[in-house]
Amino acid sequence: MTATPRPLRTRPARTVALRPMAALVAGFALVGAALTACGGDSDDGGKKEYLIGFQGPLSGDSQQLGINAYNGVLTAVEQLNGDKSLPFTLRIVASDDQGLPEQGPTAAQKLIDNPKLMAVVGPVFSGPTKSSEPLYSQAGLLSVSPSATNPALTDLGFTSFYRVIAPDTVQGAAAAEFLAKVVKAKRVYSLDDRSEYGTGLSGAIERGLEQADVPFTHDGINPTKDYTSQATKIMADGADAVYYSGYYPEYALLTKALRGKGYDGAILSGDGSNDDQFIRQAGTANAEGALITCPCSDANTDPSAAAFVAEYKKVNSGLKPGTYSGEAYDATNAIASVLRKLGTDANRESVRTAFGSVDMPGVTKRIKFERNGDVQGSTVYVYQVKDGQRTVLGPVSSLIKP
Amino acid sequence: MGSAEQISQLAVDGLMVGALYAVIALGYTLVYGVLQLINFAHSEVFMLGAFGGLFACRALVPGDGATPAGLAAAGLVLVGLVAGAAAGGAAAYTLERCAYRPLRRRGAPRLAYLISAIGASLFAFNLAGKEFGRQSVPVPDLFANRTVVTVLGAEISTQSLVIAATALLMLLAVDHLVADTRLGLSIRAVAQDAECAGLMGVDVQRVIVVTFVLGGLLAGAGGFLYAMTFNASYTMGFVPGIKAFTAAVLGGIGNVRGAVLGGLLLGLVESFGGYLFDASYKNVIAFTVLVGVLLVRPSGLLGTRLGRPA
Repeated sequence: MTATPRPLRTRPARTVALRPMAALVAGFALVGAALTACGGDSDDGGKKEYLIGFQGPLSGDSQQLGINAYNGVLTAVEQLNGDKSLPFTLRIVASDDQGLPEQGPTAAQKLIDNPKLMAVVGPVFSGPTKSSEPLYSQAGLLSVSPSATNPALTDLGFTSFYRVIAPDTVQGAAAAEFLAKVVKAKRVYSLDDRSEYGTGLSGAIERGLEQADVPFTHDGINPTKDYTSQATKIMADGADAVYYSGYYPEYALLTKALRGKGYDGAILSGDGSNDDQFIRQAGTANAEGALITCPCSDANTDPSAAAFVAEYKKVNSGLKPGTYSGEAYDATNAIASVLRKLGTDANRESVRTAFGSVDMPGVTKRIKFERNGDVQGSTVYVYQVKDGQRTVLGPVSSLIKP
Repeated sequence: MGSAEQISQLAVDGLMVGALYAVIALGYTLVYGVLQLINFAHSEVFMLGAFGGLFACRALVPGDGATPAGLAAAGLVLVGLVAGAAAGGAAAYTLERCAYRPLRRRGAPRLAYLISAIGASLFAFNLAGKEFGRQSVPVPDLFANRTVVTVLGAEISTQSLVIAATALLMLLAVDHLVADTRLGLSIRAVAQDAECAGLMGVDVQRVIVVTFVLGGLLAGAGGFLYAMTFNASYTMGFVPGIKAFTAAVLGGIGNVRGAVLGGLLLGLVESFGGYLFDASYKNVIAFTVLVGVLLVRPSGLLGTRLGRPA
């Protein structure tokens, strides 16, 4: 009785099920063909191709920092591919995490799933780094962050994580010293954006301020647009310096709100705000005089980085390197130096094991790691907006007058 | 709580943001009045207005970096407002034409309007993100922003003054228009009973279009004012849109003066709440107040029984 409707129901279901199967098989065939084409006899002299992953914000509010880093990776890769002595070529696979912790694992998985990928430059932000690294560690895939500065990241037991930037403990201590001895702040308002990065930095600064006997108020505010009542709160606090631990879109609005209310104390932020977008979004008049600390020098004014700057401009159609561009360039070159040593039989495991002993000169600093994955030694620089331009005042140590 | 100075400063901050909420809330309330429909794409009208004003100003501000002063500054603000309003009005008209009218013609159920509005909203802000970039964009400095007057210790900047004055003028104009003009009479007639209004010779379709455009003009100008303080970006509409909708409900949706009252009240609650507790609790406090008010007065502060939808 029920026999008649049943075949009617199953038949379309079966075709539906079969079609994706066919597509899948065809897809595999295509991928297989593509793989042999790349791996075996490609047109650049049969060189082996390695893939290098990139994870960072390529869209969203803070995309500029991710783009800066990506362009640095691109510069290094273009330069390396032009090197005839290398037995391999490199290709970048970018994965956008929007700088958001919750997007991190998806972005990381996308890279992990690609078997030809040997190492990753990134993640760029600390939040996604924390959420992505367990996956990288599990997969044994090396990831070298150009910029994730949260201090705790190297203490969480990740086995494949390195960074070429100093953790915020270094930046925070230097920033606190700068506030105490150069700004000579009597009271500091330490405000963070409650992110992985922001709380790490504000914590480090506050420890430094305690040691220097500078009183401070701690406060946190999730990223928002309206900093008017926050500005009123800061002014009521009577602090003569504000340090914002967060990223440039919010630092710009906070600065705008504070200056709009006639706040005349010092306004500072960290490496997450070290981009010209800050000046643009705050307005040149408001941004004037604002200070930014960064464990990064400005490649554009560093004579020893001139060759890098020239190459970067060539590759990125005239753009100047931004914050983290140099670090990303160094991270890529460090990975490439390991690949060069391993030749054409590198695999994830050998790349990861060999990376710990990297020791090479970079454009931002000497690239040599501690056992936990932190880069050895680092200088913190202070930037200031002068006449609408971000200018380097110098390393904190040299700004402190005895 | 701090001194009297801080109290008045917080009140000024709250009223300024509240005035902006009120301006946007009018768009929700007017459309709701005539159609009994929440126009969820209204926040994108606001965003497009902000960009309209911004581009007009950017084209006119001299590139030498000098901040305009005096008449030039006033003129530029006016140009920005008009351009913002025009962009907002045009966006609202297009929205009504493309996302709502076809549905109304076919007698679609309420839910279809909601989906259509959300779709239009997603479309508009993604298009804006693609066309105008994903970074926040500031409105160029149109005047030197300094403290002009001090009221009870609260420092009021040029910018706050411009925002407050413009918002106040717009609110008064709308109130006058709805209460005292022939057009306002037909809007109210349609709001009460569209079918009867139509039988009495009111062009219902025209009233609906005019209502949308009116809301659009206000939201567009409001968007420009908002962008002067908080920068413009493709996602800027969402939060103020929700807040303004809240303000409209708080005051009694469908009621023009209620929207104004709701907006100002919400601004004040946010400002004081953010100060007293923690800035991150701002929205929690604002919505707690909303729920509290609705429990006591389900139709909002000035809300009354509504008529039949068009």
